[in-house]
Amino acid sequence: MKALLKQKEISILAIILLIGAVLSFVSPVFLTIGNFLDIIEGNVVIGILAIGMTLIIITSDIDVSVAALTTAVAVSIGYLFTFLPDSWISVLLLFLIAPVIGLVMGLINGLLVSIIEIPAIVVTLGTLNIIAGLVLYITNGNYVNSTNFPQSFMAFANYELLGLPILIYLLAVVAIGTWFILKHTLIGRSVLAIGGNTQSSVRVGIDYKKVKLFVFAYMGFLAGIAAIAQTAYTKAVDPNGMLGLELTVIAAVVLGGANIHGGRGSIHGTLLGVLLLAIMQNGMILARIDTYWQNVVTGAIIVIAVSYDHLSYKRSQDKLAKIEVEA
Amino acid sequence: MKKLTMILFAALLLVGILAGCVAENSGSSDSGGDAEAGGESEGESVQAGGEDGLDIAVVPKLVGIPYFNASESGAIEAGEDLEVNVNYTGPTQADASAQVKVIEDLISKNVDVIAVAPNDPASVEPVLKKAKEQGIHVMDWDTPADKELVDLSVKQVDDEEFGRHMAKKLVEAMGTEEGEIAILTGGLSAANLNLWIEAAQKEFDENYPGIEIVSEKIPTEEKQQVAYQKTLDLLKSYPDLKGVLAVSTPAPLGAAQAVQEEGLQDEVSVVGSALPTDSAPFLEDGSLDTAVLWDPGKLGYLTVALGKMLAEGEMPEDGQEIEGVGEITVKEDGKTVIMGPPADFTKENAADFDF
Repeated sequence: MKALLKQKEISILAIILLIGAVLSFVSPVFLTIGNFLDIIEGNVVIGILAIGMTLIIITSDIDVSVAALTTAVAVSIGYLFTFLPDSWISVLLLFLIAPVIGLVMGLINGLLVSIIEIPAIVVTLGTLNIIAGLVLYITNGNYVNSTNFPQSFMAFANYELLGLPILIYLLAVVAIGTWFILKHTLIGRSVLAIGGNTQSSVRVGIDYKKVKLFVFAYMGFLAGIAAIAQTAYTKAVDPNGMLGLELTVIAAVVLGGANIHGGRGSIHGTLLGVLLLAIMQNGMILARIDTYWQNVVTGAIIVIAVSYDHLSYKRSQDKLAKIEVEA
Repeated sequence: MKKLTMILFAALLLVGILAGCVAENSGSSDSGGDAEAGGESEGESVQAGGEDGLDIAVVPKLVGIPYFNASESGAIEAGEDLEVNVNYTGPTQADASAQVKVIEDLISKNVDVIAVAPNDPASVEPVLKKAKEQGIHVMDWDTPADKELVDLSVKQVDDEEFGRHMAKKLVEAMGTEEGEIAILTGGLSAANLNLWIEAAQKEFDENYPGIEIVSEKIPTEEKQQVAYQKTLDLLKSYPDLKGVLAVSTPAPLGAAQAVQEEGLQDEVSVVGSALPTDSAPFLEDGSLDTAVLWDPGKLGYLTVALGKMLAEGEMPEDGQEIEGVGEITVKEDGKTVIMGPPADFTKENAADFDF
């Protein structure tokens, strides 16, 4: 129990519970299953992307091209719909093709970062612009609506298993899969090791370049899955629909307790970060807060959450130092 | 080995840059087979050649979105009909400084008329002044620039009329003059959206006192999925909600999607400004009742037609009939031209439009 309380994710959970308690007082609709399903389903895309981003941030890098990458895959999906026959096989094929397209683009990011060792922010800013420019060139900004989608995909998008929308299962699979990789595989442990201390990890024989390549490629892979989720959720392909989403994704990861300097971060923390942002978005209208005050409240909660988190982190660091002195 | 990687990387970079160039240039298009040769030669000789060689440049806020693509085809059609060279070119993002550069290029090409839809009226002011000093006729379209500077100002609709019209349509769709409604907007700082919403609010206040607006206008970041989520929240939070007025083109789609998924087509009416092809699946089952907008193709056509008149020293008159567009209205200042009343797109007629 004590170990659980000491976990740094507990602070963000406390804030979520606090806001949740306030909201359920203010609005009777907040604490309903229907509302929670809406909140989670609406944030599956951000959740999937944030999980991938967590790995990158743990290795003390950043990827600002995620939204553009996801858009590019979503546009490819829209294009594929004109070829694919209307059957369940198409949906399965989509789950093979979309992640591969994402993976290839992620690999390009990864190669530039790991082999040529360009700072990731520069590489991904570059790919962000290249991809966004190409998408605009190819689509001419045209919005594709659901009239062109195969019926099988629409059926998949609206499918519910045990009362839960399919997209929620998708997020769960991604989260558990990534948690497993991070916790129980060699490459996952290497990700944490490199983020903690690059020098030492290289000395114990971890292939630094391979790990960097892995995190960016994996991000691309997840962007492909997120693109399917996005298309299923909006039932449309909008080339401008995800503009600026990378900032929300990064904010969620950092709120979830990942250290932007690397070495610290967890999947459940990130999911809590996504949940916090989502509940705030949802709660603003439910609590009938005036439009102009919504931004102020959102900003204030983020600042409070991060300060609280950082204060408890500093306190634990201080304790650590004290023990060293005593010893 | 290292050299090889460097060379490969350099090549990759070059490809990237080239790809960028293609995207950038794709926005400009010349009409008419011999347009380019005529347009590139010195301006004086072209003017001496008479009407045939007039160069009219139309600058949108950005290229590559459906709305401005539709106005592009209208402008080019006008160029063919009226035998003028139309150069439709703009930045790839709604960026004020990129737009200034486009106009600078047009000035050095010495076109006869520049019609601009400014992203930011203040930042195009100096460059439009420069164009005027060189004897280029300057006009604005879609969005007004500085009034003192332009010779003509082409507006799609009257803002006041448009806002009031949307409000009336919403009340009509609701079938009652009483009840709660919510207003969604693209962004809180968009000046034209704010004007429409103010006009709509005035219409509600003056003529439909039974209508209650439940919250301040709600921003949706010009994104369908944000509008969708906010509408879901609104429907939960205000169970008696009767109508949603959604201003900005993606917002009505998101609002309608929420109504469609909750199966509230008969309880909640949605009216907003959207393009007919985008809104077709929602108009079909009544989740979107009416999309109100104007024909952007006609707007492009009118801009070129008026640009030609301007270059020939004529000014439009109130009530004048423009071929291919219809009767126009000219305001008291003599240079603000209004294309006509807003167009309604409904289940019945949405299929007739291709934008």
